[in-house]
Amino acid sequence: MQTCSGESSRGMKLIVILAFAFFSGLSSSAGEYKCGSIECYEFSPDTKDKESLQRGLSAYMNFCYGCHSLKYSRYKRVAEDLSIPLDIYEQNLIFDDSKIGDLMHISLKESKAIELLGAKPPDLTLEARLRSPEWVYTYLNTFYEDASRPYGVNNKVYANVSMPHVLEDIQSELSEEEYGRYIADITNFLTYVSDPSAETRKQLGIYVILFLLIFTAFAYLVYREFKKDLK
Amino acid sequence: MTTDTRTKRFLSWIDFRFPLTEVFERHLSKYPAPTNLNIWYLFGFLLIVVLAMQIVTGLWLMMNYTNSAEEAFSSVEYIMRDVEYGWLIRYMHAAGASAFFALIYLHMFRGMMYGSYQKPRELIWLGGWFTYLILMAEGFTGYVLPWGQMSFWAAQVIISLFSSIPVVGEDLATWIRGDYLVSGITLSRLFAFHVVLLPILLIAIVFFHILALHEIGSNNPDGIDVKKHLDEDGVPLDTKPFFPYDISHDIFALGVFLIIFCSVVFFFPTGGGYIIEYVNYEPANPLSTPAHIVPSWYYTPFYAMLRAVDFPLFGLTAKFLGFATMMAAVAIFAVLPWLDRSPVKSIKYKGILSKSFLGIFVVSFFALCYLGMVPPTETKTLLSKIFTLGYFSYFLLMPIYTRIEKCKPVPERVAEV
Repeated sequence: MQTCSGESSRGMKLIVILAFAFFSGLSSSAGEYKCGSIECYEFSPDTKDKESLQRGLSAYMNFCYGCHSLKYSRYKRVAEDLSIPLDIYEQNLIFDDSKIGDLMHISLKESKAIELLGAKPPDLTLEARLRSPEWVYTYLNTFYEDASRPYGVNNKVYANVSMPHVLEDIQSELSEEEYGRYIADITNFLTYVSDPSAETRKQLGIYVILFLLIFTAFAYLVYREFKKDLK
Repeated sequence: MTTDTRTKRFLSWIDFRFPLTEVFERHLSKYPAPTNLNIWYLFGFLLIVVLAMQIVTGLWLMMNYTNSAEEAFSSVEYIMRDVEYGWLIRYMHAAGASAFFALIYLHMFRGMMYGSYQKPRELIWLGGWFTYLILMAEGFTGYVLPWGQMSFWAAQVIISLFSSIPVVGEDLATWIRGDYLVSGITLSRLFAFHVVLLPILLIAIVFFHILALHEIGSNNPDGIDVKKHLDEDGVPLDTKPFFPYDISHDIFALGVFLIIFCSVVFFFPTGGGYIIEYVNYEPANPLSTPAHIVPSWYYTPFYAMLRAVDFPLFGLTAKFLGFATMMAAVAIFAVLPWLDRSPVKSIKYKGILSKSFLGIFVVSFFALCYLGMVPPTETKTLLSKIFTLGYFSYFLLMPIYTRIEKCKPVPERVAEV
């Protein structure tokens, strides 16, 4: 619960942020925290680190995938992008009779989910793009005990979230630093899956820009040559 | 027979039946462009390139896009993930829309600065203005197609503006939507407009625009009438043929433009949320309204005006007046040629008043662009009102300030500049 003074200092902060946003002309978003009631934790995703992505995928499949589908993504694409042999992937990371080329739907029915949790767990394929990787990382880091909630936990980023703290056991087993790494892996994975072509895109981009630089240099020389005629 | 003479014979066969060589020389290779054209004269060429790119990428997107409320969102993700280079085509099309507007704004500003709308180029200007209108409709209909949250709610807000029109408004909005709320029916009709009706109009009007320009000839930064001094072949002395002088210039500019454009496409495809908004990564949900509904950056000056008019007047609602102001702000460009009473074309030779009002216009436009992006506050609404007045003052006071100010004499020839 926020106290009254907390509210007003938040109001002050809001004014400062808005004023800053106006004068710097930077921000287009709302004058509130990007991560619910708090500032986002600092986090920069690394989608090049394949081992981290593999660990993140494994954690995701074990703890998140029961409720949260990745229905725009295909098993095979993930396996290939993360350098996991298809047979190993099929044996260990497909839990129903889906084929390797299928979209990553979950078997939990929507009506069952609403019965259990009171809300439909959203698909998370695009979550890291919709909310930002910082948001996902901060969210996974800020569950706290709250007896008023059905599962006894609440979240600082997403107030009164219906989701239980599924990583509770993991968090209690690991040190703070280790848990930070654990959720960083999950966040990296979700960042990857939200934009799987990102690495290819950046690599290709370098060649495209290099080509254009050479093209433009020659185009300039041609232009300069013709310009001489006009003098 | 050598290949050279064979080509000549083939060409003369065609030319006997269709004026191919004549058209090519008249509109491309020998088109006389004034010698004093500067960097502001690049954007027309770049706009043609972007138009072509939008048509080609749009065609390929259409091959895999599904225009139904159930499938639209996932078909876009299908393009992004499963279609070979689908991500590239989609990012190019999305960034292309922003580039199109950035370039058309620069192109329009050039016209305003150098008086390119003045006699005898009124119809060229009107054609360009109409292109801009169609482009705005293209941008809006295209924005709805991914069927994300912002697509849906932007459509809802924009179409509901029509319902503010007295008497017929509600029925008109329902007629546009084809439904009582924005729905799959709305989506598929906007899709039809976006891929068939509007592109046909756009291409037709661009064709008209260029044809009219090539009849009259290009204006130039000094507003000198180059047709007054011709050589013995009737070609204006202060011009150079488009090929190779202008084309080499334009291709160099194209290279620079593509470096910027491709940097965005490959490294910042969402443009920090200005090209593809993050809220649009959530599928359309009629039951949940996003906290802030913001149009794309290229509409925000007009959106700021809509919000600035927050008072009813003469029995008309604030919403309608805002809508009318917004429409007037776009429509007023059309009468610009008849508002300008100045004897000179270019801002270089106009007086201090014209220069000041053009400055006020530019500042107002950028300020409104920013104010339309951020959530409104009392101060910001007040600022929006002031800048809306600034925007309109450029146009509405033009007949007065262009008549009373003192102009500098325009040189007869480019060489005298």
